[in-house]
Amino acid sequence: MSGYWARRTGSALLVLGLVLVLNFVLFRMMPGDPVASIIDPNFSPEAKARLSEVYGLDRPLPVQFLRYVRSTLTFDFGISFLTGRPVVEELKSRLPNTVMLLGTSLVLSSLIGTWLGMKAALKRGSLLEKCVLWSGALSFSFPSFFVQLVLLMAFAAALPLFPLRGTLSVPPPAGGLPLLLDYLWHMALPVFSLVLLGFGGWALYVRNLMVKILGEDFILLARARGLPERNIILGHAFRTLLPPLLTIFLLSLPGIVSGAVITETVFSLHGVGRFLLEAVTGHDYPAAGASFFLLALLTVSCNLLSDLLYGLTDPRVRMERGGGR
Amino acid sequence: MKGLLKRWSFWCLLVLAALALFGTRLFDALPEAEVAAPFSKPLWLDRSLPPTMDLELSGGHPAAELDWVFGAPSRFSLRVETALPAPSRFVEWTIPGGKTFRLTPLNRGVELDGRDIAFKRSLGLPPFGDASSALFPERGTYRIGLSGEGEWEGSVKIRLEGGRWGLLGTDQRGRDIAALFVAGIRVSLLVGIFATLLATFLGTSLGLAAGYRGGWTDAVIMRAVDLLLSIPLLPILMALAALWGKGLWQLILILSVFSWMGTARTVRALTLTLRDAQYIEDLRGLGAPAGYILRRHLLPETLPVLLATMTLGVPGAILSEAGLSFLGLSDPRVISWGRMLHEAQSFGAFTAGAWWMLLPPGLGIALLCLVFLDLGKYLEERVDPRLRGGNVL
Repeated sequence: MSGYWARRTGSALLVLGLVLVLNFVLFRMMPGDPVASIIDPNFSPEAKARLSEVYGLDRPLPVQFLRYVRSTLTFDFGISFLTGRPVVEELKSRLPNTVMLLGTSLVLSSLIGTWLGMKAALKRGSLLEKCVLWSGALSFSFPSFFVQLVLLMAFAAALPLFPLRGTLSVPPPAGGLPLLLDYLWHMALPVFSLVLLGFGGWALYVRNLMVKILGEDFILLARARGLPERNIILGHAFRTLLPPLLTIFLLSLPGIVSGAVITETVFSLHGVGRFLLEAVTGHDYPAAGASFFLLALLTVSCNLLSDLLYGLTDPRVRMERGGGR
Repeated sequence: MKGLLKRWSFWCLLVLAALALFGTRLFDALPEAEVAAPFSKPLWLDRSLPPTMDLELSGGHPAAELDWVFGAPSRFSLRVETALPAPSRFVEWTIPGGKTFRLTPLNRGVELDGRDIAFKRSLGLPPFGDASSALFPERGTYRIGLSGEGEWEGSVKIRLEGGRWGLLGTDQRGRDIAALFVAGIRVSLLVGIFATLLATFLGTSLGLAAGYRGGWTDAVIMRAVDLLLSIPLLPILMALAALWGKGLWQLILILSVFSWMGTARTVRALTLTLRDAQYIEDLRGLGAPAGYILRRHLLPETLPVLLATMTLGVPGAILSEAGLSFLGLSDPRVISWGRMLHEAQSFGAFTAGAWWMLLPPGLGIALLCLVFLDLGKYLEERVDPRLRGGNVL
């Protein structure tokens, strides 16, 4: 078991290292002179050189890279070119919102999707199964921002039930409970839209896996042994379903994190994704690099977590190499 | 083949491809042209609103009658084009009560707009608001004509801008949404198909190399696959789109470089099972070079599967392109469905309640994706008949 964990952690660290390299290469190669965007072009060359020095842009690339790695690993992302504030401060205020948005919608859509998918697999040919199949196909073909724009237009613009933009009202209400309610009111539509977009894919996967599992010999055997149906479904079929489900979860994570950029842009949420978009379009290297790194870190750590859970759910992994009893 | 002709998606794709090729000819104006008032509703939507219409008078056609059943148009404009002016003749506007407005003499280069103060004063109207509300006070029959006699050559063009236009209305700049929609098919199809073709080519080569060579080649390629599959791609695409410029072909290149992983995995797995097959062993024993074996034996074996995975990959590319355009990271001069949605969000479609700016591009993207999903399912079933049935679409 410890061997499996060590290998998984090692490969996660490798991915993170490669992300660092990629990140550096990507954001150093961005077009547009960052010095030009913060300094008046009429400044004297000496002043420009001095500012380059302050931001470390005059050093050779390898030195810049080492400095970059050191500062990234200590979460010191430098000063944003655009806002002039430390990037880490900007990110600190945004990360909770992104994690809230993605976490809540992920939990809700996976729960609903798994439940519907299992129901559909148990009732082949029913209306419910048809609906699950269709919702799966639709969730793969409808662009997320389109669905979100339609929701926004219907439930925020035409029927003013929800706010059009933002994470909190301006100015935010005073006091703990009103503040929390205001926050939930602002997050309701984004989370709902992500659940609406996400549950179909889950349901389709679970249904397909479950149909396959229910056709396996060990289910037949369990039925022949006269076990109660509930026991067969939850104890045998669902247990077998878990490992592949985790794999799918793992593979869908990067896409979900990417979705944060779009969702936060549509709903103008105060999150890391929208910060990244603003940084990329504004040639704000430190901010863009930091938010990309943070999103990658989020993905890799969720990846690692589900890898470790995989080890817990699949006995074959547990037995592998030096683990087990 | 027979099965293909029975698929709705096949016919749908044909229609869309035909529209992409010849669709722009269905419209009089270019899709970029501003044809009517901004945020005009579709013609069929609100029949109480006046449509946008053009009237033309000439020497041989000196009068026209108009049965008006709507409110006043939002804008009234008039232009006289002539080589031979006739200052003693006038354009006259008669409203249902019988009152006649003398609009302008038939001079050279007259251009009037209902918002011009000079024009309003010449009609004896207050200088506020638009003249069209005074020119269209009620429902009934209006008459426009040229007064007097005399030699005159030229034309009088009158444009009444209403709140309705075309099949799908107009956007924030007054461009025809239907024309934009048709122009957008081209970008989505182009990017979807070419990005997937390139990605399939990359994935196949790398997958064949990894599966056949094994060892280090395999390890490096598969690590790269793992890496690319475990980091969020959209941020990278955003950075690259900002870095390489926003052209269509750059976008296709970027998309394909980051979407070959699935194909590489599939091809590698297939190659691994084939590599040790008896007839491949025999070929190697006969001294066939690796390139020959790969090209003539392994590649053809993987082709049917490739065709299916390729078709199923198109929606991904279409959605990525649309997403980047929606985020504003595409060439603003290229009309695409994603761009239309970007403009709908950025330029006040919400405050104008212009839902007709949202639905056509969004549903277009979804339809195109569904078409390719269905075609992919069909091809998959042809390759592996066990998959038949049990799938919707």
